Amino acid sequence: MEKKRLYLELENCIGCRSCLAACTQCGGHEERNRNYVYDVNPLVNRQTMPLMCLHCVNPACARSCPAQAIQIHETGAVLSALVEKCIGCQNCTIACPYGIPKFDEEQNLMYKCDLCIDRTKDGIPPMCASVCPSNTLQWLSDSEIEAKQKQFNLDNGKWVTSLPYLEGETNVKVNLPGILQGTTKLF
Amino acid sequence: MQRDKFFKEVENVTHPNEKLVKTHCSYCGMQCGMNLRVNTKTNKIIGVEPRYDWPVTVGKMCPKGVTAYQQTNHDDRILKPLIRDDASLKGTKEGFREASWDEAYDLIVNKFQELQNNYGKDSLSVYSGVSMTNEKCYLTGKFARVGLQTRYIDYNGRFCMASAAGGFMRSFGVDRGSTLPWTDLHETDCLFIAGSNTAECHPTSMFRVWAVQERGGYLIVADPRETPIARRADVHLDLRPGTDLALANGILNQLIQNGYADEEFVNKHTNGFEETKELVKLFTPEYTSELTGVAPEKIIRAAEIYGKAPNAIVMFARGIEQQVKGVDNVSGYTNMALVTGKIGRPKAGVATFTGQGNGQGGREHGQKADALPGYRKIANPEHVKEVAKVWGIEPEEMPEAGVSAYEMFGLMEQKTIRGLYLLCSNPAVSAPNLNYVREQMKNLDFMVCADFYLSESAEFADVILPTTTWAEDEGTVTNLEGRCIKINKAQEPLGESKPDWQIQIELCERLGRGKYFSHLKSASDVGEEFRLASKGGNADYYGITWDKIEKQDGVFWPCKDENDKGTPHMFLDKKFYHPDGKAKICALPYRPPAEEPSEKFPLRLTTGRVVYHYLSGNQTRRIQFLKDMCPEAYVEVHPETAQKYNISHEEKVRLFTLRGEAIYKVKITEAIRKDTVFVPYHFGHDQSINLLTIAALDPMSRMPEFKACAAQIEKLELKKVQ
Ligand code: SF4
Ligand code: SF4
Ligand code: SF4
Ligand code: SF4
Repeated sequence: MEKKRLYLELENCIGCRSCLAACTQCGGHEERNRNYVYDVNPLVNRQTMPLMCLHCVNPACARSCPAQAIQIHETGAVLSALVEKCIGCQNCTIACPYGIPKFDEEQNLMYKCDLCIDRTKDGIPPMCASVCPSNTLQWLSDSEIEAKQKQFNLDNGKWVTSLPYLEGETNVKVNLPGILQGTTKLF
Repeated sequence: MQRDKFFKEVENVTHPNEKLVKTHCSYCGMQCGMNLRVNTKTNKIIGVEPRYDWPVTVGKMCPKGVTAYQQTNHDDRILKPLIRDDASLKGTKEGFREASWDEAYDLIVNKFQELQNNYGKDSLSVYSGVSMTNEKCYLTGKFARVGLQTRYIDYNGRFCMASAAGGFMRSFGVDRGSTLPWTDLHETDCLFIAGSNTAECHPTSMFRVWAVQERGGYLIVADPRETPIARRADVHLDLRPGTDLALANGILNQLIQNGYADEEFVNKHTNGFEETKELVKLFTPEYTSELTGVAPEKIIRAAEIYGKAPNAIVMFARGIEQQVKGVDNVSGYTNMALVTGKIGRPKAGVATFTGQGNGQGGREHGQKADALPGYRKIANPEHVKEVAKVWGIEPEEMPEAGVSAYEMFGLMEQKTIRGLYLLCSNPAVSAPNLNYVREQMKNLDFMVCADFYLSESAEFADVILPTTTWAEDEGTVTNLEGRCIKINKAQEPLGESKPDWQIQIELCERLGRGKYFSHLKSASDVGEEFRLASKGGNADYYGITWDKIEKQDGVFWPCKDENDKGTPHMFLDKKFYHPDGKAKICALPYRPPAEEPSEKFPLRLTTGRVVYHYLSGNQTRRIQFLKDMCPEAYVEVHPETAQKYNISHEEKVRLFTLRGEAIYKVKITEAIRKDTVFVPYHFGHDQSINLLTIAALDPMSRMPEFKACAAQIEKLELKKVQ
């Protein structure tokens, strides 16, 4: 099976927060969502965007962890903290440049997006990308992502994506707002 | 069938001790496919899993759909019949006691018979809804007319789809909500969408909408607010609430003046072009701009894009329909497709976004005051004969047409109607002019409410009968495409709750009308009789069997017999449903909203939905996630307007009209017109915006003008100071 990745097209987001509702539904998520949706320009317009773990190839969260509680799955997914290892120091919540890891005070435990590992390990799309009504969150093969890259190449020859704009290489690919700039109109 | 580029083969996750039940969402007309997760040990619904194999929505759901399963085993479920002996407590939650079904039925039968003996058969009324299966909707019509023998039955579609229905009947001679399947949407070249907050009200249409733009196609949106869909539109026609007809006429004029009319199509397949052409001449871009507040360039540009597009789809929703000229607005925008001939082929046509899950099916089969199954009319003696035969009554026994939903409250005031059987609806929140409506509900001699939660309307009842949620019964619904689909049962009814059809049959038996009902033992029995009753009507479901639905991923009506695969695309043969086979292009003089702004009430108030709630909110306000996301009503105000009133973000203000007032938190946003304020209508008691809305009705559809009335804001401290 061709490897699939989470792919984000931020410009599509309609702010429905279905991704948050869906995240609570994934097995082992204890009905708590691990993702975020922000109003980009509150008081001005209705633009919103999801903030998701990008599953960094060299994740700051895992590097910062003194207890090796954050494991990286063979698929590249950066997993939620292991209950038996996490010491609740909260280093990772500070280390992550996007503020993804959340902290459960009661359990003294970090929890974060695990890319719905019990689904994605078998090639089944994560809950959030399954339900997202606007195709902001998609689950695509590398060749599909490549096609997107060609389609949204901007005049300046750059692919509006996680590189080189964001921190390091990520498993999740992101298309920043502005994807339609390169579109040729039909008529 | 209809598997398009979005369709992917995905295997579902099934956890140990769980099974998945394929079904659809309980809420809006999208009817997104979903799997309910059922624990095989407890046989209870415990969650949701996307239904990737449903061709319309391919696994997608909005947050209402994702959490819909939480309704069924919710703590607020009513588990036994409730009786309230002290009528002085009406209008509150207080005073109900649990009772047996027998006691509740006996009381209802006694009271109903007493009222009918003293005041005639028509002293009873049935007020229904269309968030339930075709089987239930069909039986409710028969329950009223054969069981209770009253003429007074109507339903909440009067506040939802009635104007679309009226407009389509006039333009096409048939009311199928969409002339094409939703799987065509992303392949068209231009979407013209008026009065639809699609991203919030029909979110799972959005991946197809965006795909049009991704292909280089155009999106035109007409809305007083810059909604999430309008934000990305190529042209946003930011019109004043209640001025759609002027905009439609203005665009039509541009299309004709600039040579986009398809003369051959117009001559062969339509009537009314010449007089319409004359009438719309008045609507120059400048004059249209004066009436609508939309810049002339935008009107010209929108017409140019729509005119040039090889294929285009005109779509609309409650924004244009909930007006005192809702029917005219529908025909007005439909004119665009008829004049340019962009209809009757794939990827081009007209569609309305049906609001309720079964808004389409529920309005076709006899819950409407003047309609019988199969979209037949009570006024037509032939139609009455056909249905009377299926029902086993004499045509003379068929009650006459009744009155529309809002007008029933008028008859309650006059004491013509004294008893009410309410189901699947919450008019104490959803009807306009609520101070009046609540008063009439309170003054009823006797009221029964069938519901699964204690709604604001149930607070006025003498008896509450516990019904099932959608997942505890089976049957069919017709989605916004006109596709009839199957709702499956995932769990046995909780507590002593029963499906509406069963309650109605048991009541009829006790009312001595059992011989017309007792042969119906299951939802599928009701379904079989309903197919027969629709046979030969405009909305012919005779050929739609549950088997065929399963095999074909749903069946589009009309579907006349076993071999008929159904009709995904309407009018492919360019035959419309008027007797001469032609469509009608309508000449529609402009009328302003019933209540225009004045010195005392300078603002235009418009109402609508948010993505987290459904209709009156009776269901969604109880779901924790949705409640957390949107716990209360608010009023949206433009920053310049807010400055004028010296009010700030999150401040509480008094909003009032001639009819009522309420206090709301201010939400400042530039994404609304300066002369307009918006309040979502999902909230009860003193938060209901319908305390303020106007009950001006469209003369044809009897739809109230929820979308435009005149209002004023008052800063709260000021009042205290005075
Ligand atoms: S589900 Fe998709 S559209 Fe909705 S908020 Fe999340 S990312 Fe945005
Ligand atoms: S985005 Fe943050 S939480 Fe996710 S892998 Fe990278 S550093 Fe860790
Ligand atoms: S991939 Fe799974 S765990 Fe991560 S945000 Fe999406 S639903 Fe939540
Ligand atoms: S409410 Fe409508 S859009 Fe949302 S999941 Fe249900 S059917 Fe789909």
